[in-house]
Amino acid sequence: MARKTSTMSGTGGRTAALFLTPFFAVFALAIIAPVVYSLVLSFYAQQKSGLGFGEAKTSFVGLENYLQVFQSETFTGGLGRLALYCLIYIPSMVGGAVVFALLLDATAARARKLFQLLVFLPHAVPGVIAALIWAYLYTPGVSPLVQALQSGGIQLNFLDAHLVLPSVVNIAVWEWTGYNVIILFTALQAVPREILEAARVDGAGEIRTALSIKFPLILPALSVIMLFTIIGTLQLFTEPSIIAKATASVTSTWVPNLWAYDAAFNRHNLNQAAAASIVIALLAAGLSLAVTRLSSRMNKS
Amino acid sequence: MKRHPLLRRRFLAGAAGLLSSAVLLTGCGTGPAATPPAPAGDASGEITFWSSLAGMDKVAEKFNASQDKIKVTFETIPNGGNGGYAKLSTAITAGNGPDVSTIEYAQLPQFVSNGQVLPLDGFIDKANTVDKLNEQIRGLVQFDGKSYGLPYDAAPMVMWYRKDLLDRAGVGVPKTWTEFETAGRKLKAVAPKSYLASFYPNEPTLMAALAWQGGAKWFGTEGDSWKLGLRDEATKKVSDFWQRMIDQKIVKVEQAFSDEWSADLANGTLAGVLGANWSATGIQKRTEASGQKGKWIAAEAPNWGTPAGAFYGGSSFNVTKSSKNPAAAAKFIEFLATSPEAIAARGNTGSAYLAYPGLTKEAQKAFDAGYFGNDIYAVFDKAYATILPGWQWGPNWDVTNTALKDSFGALTTGGKIDAALDSSAEATLSGLTQNGLSVKE
Repeated sequence: MARKTSTMSGTGGRTAALFLTPFFAVFALAIIAPVVYSLVLSFYAQQKSGLGFGEAKTSFVGLENYLQVFQSETFTGGLGRLALYCLIYIPSMVGGAVVFALLLDATAARARKLFQLLVFLPHAVPGVIAALIWAYLYTPGVSPLVQALQSGGIQLNFLDAHLVLPSVVNIAVWEWTGYNVIILFTALQAVPREILEAARVDGAGEIRTALSIKFPLILPALSVIMLFTIIGTLQLFTEPSIIAKATASVTSTWVPNLWAYDAAFNRHNLNQAAAASIVIALLAAGLSLAVTRLSSRMNKS
Repeated sequence: MKRHPLLRRRFLAGAAGLLSSAVLLTGCGTGPAATPPAPAGDASGEITFWSSLAGMDKVAEKFNASQDKIKVTFETIPNGGNGGYAKLSTAITAGNGPDVSTIEYAQLPQFVSNGQVLPLDGFIDKANTVDKLNEQIRGLVQFDGKSYGLPYDAAPMVMWYRKDLLDRAGVGVPKTWTEFETAGRKLKAVAPKSYLASFYPNEPTLMAALAWQGGAKWFGTEGDSWKLGLRDEATKKVSDFWQRMIDQKIVKVEQAFSDEWSADLANGTLAGVLGANWSATGIQKRTEASGQKGKWIAAEAPNWGTPAGAFYGGSSFNVTKSSKNPAAAAKFIEFLATSPEAIAARGNTGSAYLAYPGLTKEAQKAFDAGYFGNDIYAVFDKAYATILPGWQWGPNWDVTNTALKDSFGALTTGGKIDAALDSSAEATLSGLTQNGLSVKE
């Protein structure tokens, strides 16, 4: 066909459209449509009356669902818990990843490939399985870990209301540090060798090089990591919902995502669940924007 | 004025339904019991059946083999605690749910209230199904005079004890809760690290059964409103008692079915299990390997002075709103809930206790109760005979259930049962009111 040759000559527009259409079709169907549907749902309410037997009426209620979400102590409590989670999780995970990556990149590092694999391995374990493994390791009476601590005279219940948050953070750290080490390590590999050589000639040791040369140069990669981590944190759902099977300390509304799930499937209030989901999505968007702004400013300076 | 013809048509349809069920009645009355039920018009075609109950695949196969008009496709779904009801509810709403569902009594009202299950009246042979049931169990599937399912099992709450541990402590089987407390103290005197039972934060239906047995009514209707009783006098009495048991360490707070609980059973930390007839297999599985054969006995749960019991668990079979063939679905439900063949086909799936008269002995045949030190079915019979009438489940048990689970979570770190009931009552009130229901306390 004649058309073939014309596209071959690379006029751009049509070829691009051809390649982009499948993406946008799926994107519209799987992302845009559900979001629009949730948005619509969130402005309506299913109202029953009396004993509730019989048809429910659907009526437009404006922002009332959003109001209920924000007025709910369990939702705001969940947000607070999530903030606390971030406060523990991000420094320990990102910090750990930076240290691991710098160690791997240090010229003195031995058996680099092996350590790379070992560090990455936990990430290859699916999140659900990781949570199940840790639930086992946390449960008093069956966990070898708890038993070992006990024989050393340390009485710890990882699953009680005080320790369960750090325990969940630990699962996430275990899962994600390795993954981020790989990203940072790749960024470190891209640091021009001549700069490092210049530093060495100037008399900088390994630690000085790591802190003053390598670290600033991987800041862009670090900001990408921060972005993904923050979005990922807002999506926190799997680990707590698995741990909830082993302990009653993780409530059904522990984090905002669980709150939305509870609204939809326990309280049978799909409209309220939709409102909560929109709130979570907006939060993710806002935080992402803030992080990108902040990091681009940091990178410029 | 305009509605008159419609009304008349509805009346005629009703009359026709009555007539056909009368025909059915006489048909069944004259024929020998073993012949398949009289054909109910166009009850044929393909239907799907969802259940989390073990062995139901075999029952569906048996049904398919027994006749050639209806073909049942079975699908295992997770149980309620693992998201089974969320799956069922969303599937029905989306219009791709099964024809026949399995719903526990506590959850049934919310499916009825959401219009997700159909009344069976007109589809089933009422005289030979619903009308033959014990009044207490019938009340759990009937709302507003209509039957929204056929009950499968009737699970009386019973208590399981390690007879050897009770003997060692020098106590008999407690008849009342007062005796239970004394027995617990004596047990602790002999074995300070052991417990007489557990309190399960993840099983609010057991707390409900305990309250029920104590005379509480958590849900009721008053005119056009629901009446909540989570903070009634009887519940207070029950919660105070269990709080005292926890405080004295006679009862251990731990998740039911958890690894911790299993370990406590296996190593003899627990001298008792508050459960139901269906607990037998769970106890056997967890204690068999540590040589506890013959040491476990069943007993009626202790009472408050006069024999009283409650149901703890149990499921019904229902026709969902998404069913395209309710007639065939109802036919299959009759088989599931009332036919001895269905019970026999399921094989050994534990110590079932069934709602329909005469079926329990069929289940008993398949279950080897030799692991236990007494006649457990005799105990179930006694417990079943004392179930307190008048209990009703609320329009959304899930709200109360999760609220209780959440607040019971604090029991290990100083929380109190009282406070848990208090906050759960509040959560139920606001949850129901937000759905527009009228609720009083």
